Amino acid sequence: MTVQDTTRTDTGAIRYEPQDGVLLEVEDLYVEFHTADGVATAINGVSFELRQGESLAILGESGSGKSVTAQAIMGILDMPPAVIPQGHIRYCGHDLLTMDEEQRRKTRGPEVSMIFQDALSSLNPVFPVGWQIAEMFRIHRGMNKSDALDQAIRLMERVQIPAARERVKAYPHQFSGGMRQRIMIAMAIALDPAVLIADEPTTALDVTVQAQIMSLLEELQEERQMGLILITHDLGVVADVADRIAVMYAGRLVEKAEVHELYRSPAHPYTRGLLESIPRLDQKGQTLAAIGGLPPNLMRIPPGCPFNPRCRMAQDVCRRDLPALREVAPGRLSACHFAEEVIDA
Amino acid sequence: MGTYILRRLLQMIPVILGATFLIFAMVFALPGDPLAGKCGERPCSAAYRAAFTEKYNLNDPLLVQYGKYVGKLATGDFGETYNQIKVSDQLKQRYPVTAKLALMAILFETLIGIVAGVLTGVRRGGFLDNLVLVSTLVVISIPVFVIGGLAQYFLGVKWGLFPVTVTSGEATVYQLLLPAMVLGSLSVAYVARLTRTNLVENLRSDYVRTAISKGLTKRRAIGLHALRNSLIPVVTFIGFDFGALLGGAIVTESIFNIPGIGGYIFRSIRSRDGASVVGAVTVLVIVYLVVNLIVDLLYGLLDPRISHD
Ligand SMILES: Nc1ncnc2c1ncn2[C@@H]1O[C@H](COP(=O)(O)OP(=O)(O)O)[C@@H](O)[C@H]1O
Ligand code: SF4
Ligand SMILES: [Mg+2]
Repeated sequence: MTVQDTTRTDTGAIRYEPQDGVLLEVEDLYVEFHTADGVATAINGVSFELRQGESLAILGESGSGKSVTAQAIMGILDMPPAVIPQGHIRYCGHDLLTMDEEQRRKTRGPEVSMIFQDALSSLNPVFPVGWQIAEMFRIHRGMNKSDALDQAIRLMERVQIPAARERVKAYPHQFSGGMRQRIMIAMAIALDPAVLIADEPTTALDVTVQAQIMSLLEELQEERQMGLILITHDLGVVADVADRIAVMYAGRLVEKAEVHELYRSPAHPYTRGLLESIPRLDQKGQTLAAIGGLPPNLMRIPPGCPFNPRCRMAQDVCRRDLPALREVAPGRLSACHFAEEVIDA
Repeated sequence: MGTYILRRLLQMIPVILGATFLIFAMVFALPGDPLAGKCGERPCSAAYRAAFTEKYNLNDPLLVQYGKYVGKLATGDFGETYNQIKVSDQLKQRYPVTAKLALMAILFETLIGIVAGVLTGVRRGGFLDNLVLVSTLVVISIPVFVIGGLAQYFLGVKWGLFPVTVTSGEATVYQLLLPAMVLGSLSVAYVARLTRTNLVENLRSDYVRTAISKGLTKRRAIGLHALRNSLIPVVTFIGFDFGALLGGAIVTESIFNIPGIGGYIFRSIRSRDGASVVGAVTVLVIVYLVVNLIVDLLYGLLDPRISHD
């Protein structure tokens, strides 16, 4: 058991304090989907931590388990079919997985918050955007309608929505994609959460708008010293914002590193493949070296290293032994038998 | 919005004229002599026949007759039956009964249908879900005269839970309870299923996931966010159903002896009472069109993505 410096306020609500700067601690997490076809292990022993004021990017191809990780942290997985057979998700030392549901509900919004890829479908089409932001204040703070709406306007101004006061009663479909994502962000940061999870927040947007949303997130993260988890399948998007990167493959973390080190010298063949598939300005016209093959079926993950069928460096040992995630250089973790060679290459 | 309503109202005029003309022409084409049996056993005298023909414009061409009829209609005069009974008096007496019955049936189907739909949608596959599924299937597949007859026999005659028939001219709410439930039973099944299907779909939606991650209670995420969206098609269905029920319910009315508009039209057709048929149908067409307009406007209010400009 960790020591918990929990203090109770007069209302009986728990006050959460980071433990030595650690906000969130995911430890040996497993998530399975039990379906008619069988059991798919979507998250396979994932561990990482998020510190106050830190930006952690989670990178991986589509289907690698990034969203499921985020949903497990938020507690918004559909259970069933999802099952969490083991693991811990600690927020300020409190295990969210064993917390009672009412207590956990109260952490969503004021403590941990999330924005999604598709802001249009993520906002309720029949309520005005201001109302949807104000709902945070009304539910969690018991604020009256007009005060809550004032707060909503302030937030809409903060995320740079032009003419916020006039547009507070407008509906989601009346905004552009970028503006809608700003509204999602306003809603997510409304109660000043310590942790913000952004699941591919710019994937559905135009390139120019993508950059604007990313810099808004970066700005807010610095201003409020939030812990930010930035999920993406596109390394190019997060390079400027993230401090550290965790790379996922088939439900496992395969590499973890400080962002510039990872860029300079990836320690896992999969990461190297992802880096090589980023379009680069100085190599215009060259074809991208995408990683060949497909991620494994999660119901039949190959023995040994899950990446071995697609890996150009694969040896016999790769088809036999599962490589552990280990420290291969100071502050660098990789789950590859030949990580040292990859890093030096 | 204002211009939209005006446009819709103007569009109604040709529809009303067209519909009433069709009815008028059909009634006109009905075989049979309106004077048959009018003068006892003997055929009517030539003088009487002439006066009668003159009074009801029976010698004019169809279009002229229709024109004269519409002209009077515009001043609120629905004409008289051949027995000198004012059609408008008949309508005034019967239409409130039909409206009352329709309203009660709608209340019944809305209340029971939505509650059943929500309960089964939230707990899919449970006992209640299966019970409602089976009973709605039964209700949908049995014709209304069977349901009506059974309900009347068991709930009314045998167990005495409800009045068996309507005995007074204005039909009290109490007397209409059982008929309203019979009339609404088919729609209860539709409303329950429509609510359930839409709720299940919306529970999987991204914005409900957002609602949960905002820290809302399950009750609020489902009962407000998901349900508010799920009810849009349900309310629309109920609105159109109300329009249909306001047209009278011949079968239910005759089972329970209800003096409503459905039975009135039915009897008027059988007795070749043209003025009554055309008058009643005109009212029904207008009511139907107005209810449809209201439902369309309501739809726009419920779903901000629909715009009426
Ligand atoms: N509701 C579900 N039922 C079954 N399998 C699921 C479900 N949600 C996710 N998965 C599986 O979990 C794996 C990881 O998905 P996800 O986390 O969404 O990937 P991504 O990294 O693209 O966000 C996928 O292979 C997907 O098939
Ligand atoms: S362990 Fe082997 S197969 Fe896996 S990434 Fe390293 S070299 Fe490739
Ligand atoms: Mg995803």
